[in-house]
Amino acid sequence: MRFAPLLILLALLPGVSGAQSSQFGVRGLGFPGRGLGVRAAGSSGAFGLFDAESSLNPAALGAVPTLTSVFVVTQSFRHPENPAGTASVRDTRFPLLSVAGPVRLVAAFGISFSNYTSRDFTVVTEDTLDLRGVPVGVIDSFSSRGGLNDLRLAGAYRVHDHWTFGGGFHVITGSNRLQSRRVFSDPSFLSSTQKSEISYAGVGLSAGVIRQFGSRFGIAALVRTDGHVNVDLDSARVGSVDLPYTFGLGLRLQPAGQLELGVQTIVRTWSGANSDLLQQGGTGAKNTFEVAAGVQYTSDPKRPYRRPLRLGARYATLPFPLVLGEQGHELGVSLGTGMRFAQQRAGIDLSLEYLWRSEGVYSERAFLVSVGVSVRP
Amino acid sequence: MRRRYYALLAGLASLGCQEKLTAPADCPALCPGGSSEVFDEVISPIIGADSSFRGYVQPASAAALLVSNGLGGFETRAIMRFSRRSDTVTVRDTARTYTIDSVAFGLNLVARDTTLPGLKILLYRLPISIDTTTTYAAVDPAFVPGNLIRTIDVPDTLKRGAIRTVFSGAGLDSVLIPPADTGVLALGIRIDSPDTTGIRLGSSANGTGGVFFTYATLNVPDTGTAKLRTFSLAVPFNSFVTPPQPVPDTTLLVVGGEPSSRALLRFELPPHIRDSATIVRATLELTPVAPISGLRTDPARLQARAVTADLGAKSPVSATAGRSGLFPPPADTIEAGATTVNLEAVRLVETWLTPTPRPSALMLAFAPDIEAASFSRPVFYSTRAADPAVRPRLHISYLRAFPFENP
Repeated sequence: MRFAPLLILLALLPGVSGAQSSQFGVRGLGFPGRGLGVRAAGSSGAFGLFDAESSLNPAALGAVPTLTSVFVVTQSFRHPENPAGTASVRDTRFPLLSVAGPVRLVAAFGISFSNYTSRDFTVVTEDTLDLRGVPVGVIDSFSSRGGLNDLRLAGAYRVHDHWTFGGGFHVITGSNRLQSRRVFSDPSFLSSTQKSEISYAGVGLSAGVIRQFGSRFGIAALVRTDGHVNVDLDSARVGSVDLPYTFGLGLRLQPAGQLELGVQTIVRTWSGANSDLLQQGGTGAKNTFEVAAGVQYTSDPKRPYRRPLRLGARYATLPFPLVLGEQGHELGVSLGTGMRFAQQRAGIDLSLEYLWRSEGVYSERAFLVSVGVSVRP
Repeated sequence: MRRRYYALLAGLASLGCQEKLTAPADCPALCPGGSSEVFDEVISPIIGADSSFRGYVQPASAAALLVSNGLGGFETRAIMRFSRRSDTVTVRDTARTYTIDSVAFGLNLVARDTTLPGLKILLYRLPISIDTTTTYAAVDPAFVPGNLIRTIDVPDTLKRGAIRTVFSGAGLDSVLIPPADTGVLALGIRIDSPDTTGIRLGSSANGTGGVFFTYATLNVPDTGTAKLRTFSLAVPFNSFVTPPQPVPDTTLLVVGGEPSSRALLRFELPPHIRDSATIVRATLELTPVAPISGLRTDPARLQARAVTADLGAKSPVSATAGRSGLFPPPADTIEAGATTVNLEAVRLVETWLTPTPRPSALMLAFAPDIEAASFSRPVFYSTRAADPAVRPRLHISYLRAFPFENP
């Protein structure tokens, strides 16, 4: 009950920004998702490769104690800045849904549906054009809704309680519903609206391992290949885009019963998509890396899920530059907690993340509030 | 207590669910695909396939009657025949005679040159034989001082509305209906003015025609009382006549006149516009052969109507425009003396690009409420004009398909 005011505070915090959507997701395939559950997001993803409620590492499923379903909702508030101006924007997304459960104590299977990239934005420009010899003001808006989703079927197998191996099959699919609209200040000109839909389809494979050295130290590793996605414009094939290989490494240390430390790094070879995107007129793509460090403090080691305090920080580079040759990056800090109730059959996790993103003259502050609901029937 | 916190939390969370994604963009970095570019193209009608056709609306069917004292170079006179007035009235199954106390004529002034004072309307008795075949020459002999029954001074302040004149006493003699006319009265109308001008009067086709009132005293002996009665007679026929006009030049595009003319123009949109362009403006540009005639302060309204099937002069036209069919036909107001006409017709051109495309043609006509009822008689150059600069043309502004595939 002591945390209830904190929960309300988290819901009330307005103003600033942040989220799945971003002005840095305007180009390329959009802003990359992280596949994190709220429990891992509270410590900036430092424990993501160990977290069974995240969709990063299939080996992490081995830690699922019982059939568990997780639903995540993220409310973001962003404040993008660029030479054209500033704005305060917000959106609500559902970046992760997963169901997983153990099989005969040593194995686990799960299915998850998470955000791979998000391309939700509406950008507006104003200009004055010389039309028929007369200056006419125009307002252009370009909007996109949608993105790529990652449907993962995964399994994990534990060997002697020290090793856990996992594998996953990923279906990457999604669409962008695009709209370009122009409005003229001269009523003699009709406003114009053009719409299109770009759809994507691809498959990927992932493999992961977790090695537990005693009860206080563990290492997790991930490798993933996503092949490529075929790109269809209004049902006509216009090309394909190579998706990255992903390599991840995570460490978890529990120096004391109440304290848990984690660090994680993930590298994605997005530069494989560079030539495809340049060929389609885009600004290309660059490899990314992400490093996160976090801590989880539990007041009662016997009940680690009872209102733990999670803190973390992360730094990541972004794959799709706004300007050819540059690369954006983001820096974030996070805070989180959670609780279990109904005899631990249900739980709520909360995370609060503040992010700074920038690339040259383009910047963005983002504030994310994520709520994860888990149910163990 | 805990439930209340959760309820409050849920309520606050739902407040945050409103989406607002619009942000300013700095191009080209934040403008994938670039920005739309507006292209202009001038399209001429198919050479030799534009024509004028005459005879759509006859003067007797027009929504207004024209009267002028020489506007456009010739005089125009209105004629009207009222319904038959019975000699008796039936009261208690008995036909009763009556005594006329007074009569009145009501006219409806639709338009006049509001800048010109001293307008007079002259009423003449005409033979009751007038009908749709009556010509100017046939009734001209009746427009003589001997048949003039009233000169109405129209107040300069009256811009439009009812005009009424009453005959009583000795004045009744001029409107007596001889037995040979079987209760039917016909009138002719001219105008007089210090300057050349015209007026438009309401017509029976529009429900605003002249009215002939008779105020009578009805003698009913068996009741010992006298009853006052008013007989109101409408005009089953009204029209206007002009001296014979020269036949329009078939190499020109004529609109209006009486009977009315319309002009059919056919176009062929280039494939790159028809297939993938988004048209944002289409202006039909017409060059009159001479400054457009007409009545000052009473502009005409020129319409371009979509042709639903190209059958030449009898092509059916649509009463609406736009892809959705919810817009009125494109129209432009033509003031007297205009030397160019630019008619914004994008809603019409849209109908050429619908999934069930219509002929790329348009019918140029006056709006229905003034067709054959306007002093404007525009004559435009056609595609047969020797000078290409004066031929009709359609100036189209369009956007090409947006390059959405550029990420």
